[in-house]
Amino acid sequence: MIIEAHGLRKTFHAKRGRGKTEEVEAVRGIDLEVQKGEIFAALGPNGAGKTTTVRMLATFIAPTAGTARVAGFDVVKEAARVRENIGYVSQAGGVDENNPGIDQLLLAGRIAGLSKKQALARADELLAAFSLTEIARRPARTLSGGQKRRFSIALGLVTAPPLVFLDEPTTGLDPQNRANLWDEVRALRDRGTSVLLTTHYLDEADALCDRLVIIDNGTVVAEGTPASLKKEVAGDVVTLKLKGVDDAAEVLRAQSYVKEVRTEEGLLRAYLDDGEHGLPHLLRVLEERGLTLESISLDRATLDDVFLRHTGRSLRDAA
Amino acid sequence: MIRQTSLFLGYELRFLLRNPVWPLFGIMQPVLYLVFFAPLLGRTTSSGSMPEVLAMFTPGSMMMIALFGSLFAGFGMINETRNGVLERLAVSPAWPPAIILGRVAKDMLVLVVQAILVMGVAILMGLRIGLPEFLIMLLLMAVTGLFAASLSYGLALAIKDENGVSQLVQFFAMPLTLIAGLFLPVSLGPDWLQTLARFNPLYYGVEAGRSLFRGDLGDSTIPIAFALLIGLALITLVWSMRSLRRLAA
Repeated sequence: MIIEAHGLRKTFHAKRGRGKTEEVEAVRGIDLEVQKGEIFAALGPNGAGKTTTVRMLATFIAPTAGTARVAGFDVVKEAARVRENIGYVSQAGGVDENNPGIDQLLLAGRIAGLSKKQALARADELLAAFSLTEIARRPARTLSGGQKRRFSIALGLVTAPPLVFLDEPTTGLDPQNRANLWDEVRALRDRGTSVLLTTHYLDEADALCDRLVIIDNGTVVAEGTPASLKKEVAGDVVTLKLKGVDDAAEVLRAQSYVKEVRTEEGLLRAYLDDGEHGLPHLLRVLEERGLTLESISLDRATLDDVFLRHTGRSLRDAA
Repeated sequence: MIRQTSLFLGYELRFLLRNPVWPLFGIMQPVLYLVFFAPLLGRTTSSGSMPEVLAMFTPGSMMMIALFGSLFAGFGMINETRNGVLERLAVSPAWPPAIILGRVAKDMLVLVVQAILVMGVAILMGLRIGLPEFLIMLLLMAVTGLFAASLSYGLALAIKDENGVSQLVQFFAMPLTLIAGLFLPVSLGPDWLQTLARFNPLYYGVEAGRSLFRGDLGDSTIPIAFALLIGLALITLVWSMRSLRRLAA
């Protein structure tokens, strides 16, 4: 176990006007267990408490309550030891715009205790791994968003840590850069590095991680592999647009092959384990009741359906 | 610890060497004052000779670089509170005080080099100063720089807002300049002004500088200035390091 967290809480005291403070409970009791060598994702909407959780695990802020061991060390009592064993790439990136990437890699290496020669060798390695060698000497402000993001990840990897935190690593990247970054994260895992990443992209969590937690409102609402979580909901989702949603929902709930039915403004979602076989039955029943469809679609269940099931709202709608 | 500080210092200096022009702009202001303002001050000194005027005026113009240069040193750091650089360093194996110390050391060095250039111009204009006085003056500038830069980083980390810091620094710089007698000694003024000046640490810096330039090494303002500036520098240094630690809250 590379991360073990129990009952992590963080309460901020935000100043609101003169002398008044407001308590903001960013994280309300999170348990996490990340295995060595896996890509673990914390999926949730913005403001769910993902970044605060990662910041506590990376020793940037101290938890209000709860305990966590990262790489075998307590994040509060042995923060310095934790820092020696992690790489941390914040959402902001942490790339100094005024200086070339190579200088920043060298400084990061030297402050971690490498000799000049070792730091140079490590920097060269990382520059090559992230295809940054050509632009290593350019001031970072002249680089594109994707190049800067690769530098920020390279900076987090200078010490070759067994565990890397990536906070929203692909936010703001175009699809091409995003796909490349996914490959780089997978390559990290293949070399034995454990990765904890946060994301609010469903497809990212689905495609990239081995296991995930879904975080909402500062708590973990679901945990598992993407496949197992989706299976809990159902294999397939039939989305129907029709008049008389409530009638249709009532009819479908009575069908044995329908696991669950959800409705929202003119839309009905029916969760079926086997959509291909269930769909003809479903259509027949609706027709018998004289309910006319405007449209219909059959999709595989996604993590959004998981989120919907656990929080009652879609991740796309969540703030 | 020294290794870590010198690593951060080296990083900052490499940036400076790639962009050596900006600190040169910093000395334009005092040099302009020396060239165009000092000649107007002939009547304020007993003999009215240029060397005497320069001995009176040069220390003030040097404090000016500290006030209008080093006090703005923290500006770059405000951006670093947002772009994640400080966040990254805070969870790196770096010794946290080195993050501030390396930068402050760079600002001290810059100020000392600027001071050498300004004194060089003054010497070309006719200022006469002995080597020990010259070196002690540089030391005084280094201490002033330590104080001004630490204060600036402390403000930057506490306020984290460019507009706020810029307004605050401007707000304090003007009265401090006037009450220190930066341009003309406050001894020319009324008693209340002289009394007021005694509460301004910069006053002692300027007066110590004037004593040095007069060759009066035994003047009491010199040890007072050093003690005061070192004391204030230590307080502001600790304050800025604490602010760095509280960055996340």
